[in-house]
Amino acid sequence: MGRIKAIIVKEFFHIMRDPRSLTMVFFIPLVMIFILGYSVSYDLNRIDAAVIDLSQSRLSKQLVQAFAANRIFVIRTRGSNEQGTLSLAAAEKMLRQQKIKEIIVIPADLSRCLAEKRQCSIGLIIDGSDVNIANLVYQYDERIILEFIAAMKGVGQLLKINTKIFFNPEARSQFFFIPGLVAVILLMISAMLTSLSVAKERETGSIALLFISPLKSPEIIIGKTIPYIIVSLLDGVVILLFARFWFGIPLRGSLAVLLVFALLYIVSGLALGILISASAPTQRTAMLATLLITMLPSFLLSGFIFPLDSLSPVLRAISYVIPATYFLRIIRGVILKGAELKHFFFEGGMLIALSLVLLAAATRKFNQQRKAAQ
Amino acid sequence: MKLFYLVKKELIEIVRQKELLVLMFIGPVIQIIILGYVISTDIRHVPVGIVNLAKGQVAGQIIQRVRQTPLFHVHVLSDRSEDYLYLLKKGEVKTVLIFRDALDEKRSVLKYPEVQILMDGMDSNTSMIAAGYFNGIIKNYILNDMEKLGQGLPLGGQAVFRFNPQLRSINYMGPGIVGFLLTIITMFLTSASMVREKEQQTLDTLLISPLSTLEIYIGKALPAALIGLADMVIGLVVVVLWFGIPFRGNLFYLFLASLVYLAAILSYALLISVLSATTQQAMFFAWFSLMIFLLMSGFFTPVDNIPPLLRVLADINPLRYLIQIIREIFLKGNGIEFFWKDLLKLSAIALTLLSVSLLNFKRFISK
Repeated sequence: MGRIKAIIVKEFFHIMRDPRSLTMVFFIPLVMIFILGYSVSYDLNRIDAAVIDLSQSRLSKQLVQAFAANRIFVIRTRGSNEQGTLSLAAAEKMLRQQKIKEIIVIPADLSRCLAEKRQCSIGLIIDGSDVNIANLVYQYDERIILEFIAAMKGVGQLLKINTKIFFNPEARSQFFFIPGLVAVILLMISAMLTSLSVAKERETGSIALLFISPLKSPEIIIGKTIPYIIVSLLDGVVILLFARFWFGIPLRGSLAVLLVFALLYIVSGLALGILISASAPTQRTAMLATLLITMLPSFLLSGFIFPLDSLSPVLRAISYVIPATYFLRIIRGVILKGAELKHFFFEGGMLIALSLVLLAAATRKFNQQRKAAQ
Repeated sequence: MKLFYLVKKELIEIVRQKELLVLMFIGPVIQIIILGYVISTDIRHVPVGIVNLAKGQVAGQIIQRVRQTPLFHVHVLSDRSEDYLYLLKKGEVKTVLIFRDALDEKRSVLKYPEVQILMDGMDSNTSMIAAGYFNGIIKNYILNDMEKLGQGLPLGGQAVFRFNPQLRSINYMGPGIVGFLLTIITMFLTSASMVREKEQQTLDTLLISPLSTLEIYIGKALPAALIGLADMVIGLVVVVLWFGIPFRGNLFYLFLASLVYLAAILSYALLISVLSATTQQAMFFAWFSLMIFLLMSGFFTPVDNIPPLLRVLADINPLRYLIQIIREIFLKGNGIEFFWKDLLKLSAIALTLLSVSLLNFKRFISK
């Protein structure tokens, strides 16, 4: 134990010697959450639409009114330069320039068509580039048209649909995104903290001193990890407090539970970093590897942005070895739903298992190099 | 010619490491493929619970339709009103649908059951999409039903989707990946390069060489640019051949925009490199920048949603313009008359970054 302490003290000196890095570790996540917390949102707040009213009747004007009455729609009926009504070609050009998201074409025979009780349709030309947005726009259109018919026929509603949203009543994507961002940042920070530690010793040559020291390889690996646990955990607390008090993200569960799991999660991140560090020949390689290995998988395969339920079985299998998958579930559950310790035995167990496997692999790698060097 | 030797030395330093080569060339391909599959899977298998308290057949028929769509996975189906909030809380289901007989018969002339949708607002995006689809299912049912009664709805929307008629997500996201790859590789190869010389004490050797400051600068940037371009070509090939994304525009403009972008990102990375004292600092800097660049570029979420004050950051984000241009070229086949403004802005950013970076570089060298 005393020997591990020596390594820990040495690592602490390393950390203290580069105060700028330490400041960055605490400061960067806050800036990141601040900027991204406001900027990243999937909500559709406004739909710019051009209306080409070929009918110009009382009915068609009512329909345009129905669209305009919806707060989300910003209706344009005129081109930017030209006087008078918009031509289809001009509208198509606006669609191409992304000035509008859709063109609503009301047919010339709208009134006659409705009077004759034929089925008539309104043309919707929607920019399909962003699929999510296109779908949402289409749903809004359909709803407005349906409501219009209901009003026209004097029927209140065809069907009563009553929607209630739980846990996040305003459906603010911030409440979903920020806890996720906290999870991804914590993993990346902890992996980056340790990822250079062995590689740096290798580059500067001081690794030879570690090799010939009486310390056993597991002691070295563990000793190199412990100081960073403290740094990362402190960092985690600061980040959580910031999310709680600046963005008003509720904390419905217990902070203690969250911190226990955060600790397990951080250890898995540090273990990943130290494995990369033990494997990479230079700092540059370690750096590239850490970012490639932590960034995209934690973004894509953890449920941070894309829901896991939709993934194919192969990708879901990969998601099981990504620590962020588990912590995302935990942090969102505890923060938004007030979930408790007993809900997350599986997740906690997986985090411990992942950490142990990663630490063992790092020790093995380090030991091999040590043997090769002697 | 002197420059050539420096570029060669830098390339050797990269090629010498098997691990680095793998990371640079195999890594991105794996990433694109995974990314491609993740984003091309549209939302489906959303776990739902259904409580049917209605007596008529209609509810049963609607439920049958819900079961048939791949979007939903019916996790629980019951005819008793239990505490479904618990299921929602545990996360076993994302949405609970409750059918009841309509009480107020006057309001719903057609006697359809009342529907209540309870959503887990945590993942508001998924829930909203699921609710939208569910509304669609019900509406279609009513439409069919009315048609059978010979009343058909008098008015409907006929939608056409431009630029991406089949609404494939990958067509939108895929081209963006190319821009992302260009960024990640060049940024990480370059942002630590001068620090490295400092840490390994080879900086003095470089400084006493007959190379001019400008030559050192270019010598550091060029290898990363070459590798970045190679990665980009690999990315394009994978995106077009593997995922079958149509390329409708002009390849020349794509490369032109990429070159301008490379100038911007490399200047930025070299700036990081001279401003950081250790590799760790460079790494944190690069990571921070990459996260901001990526998440504020419109790659995942629309730039329109960024509030006005922070919009300034998005406006000076070079990746935003690159992704915008790449998408226009890929999806819409737009010519330069559509994106010359973006290209101009990108060039302005590149020029500014280049001059700031070069100035700092000179100061760094003269110290």
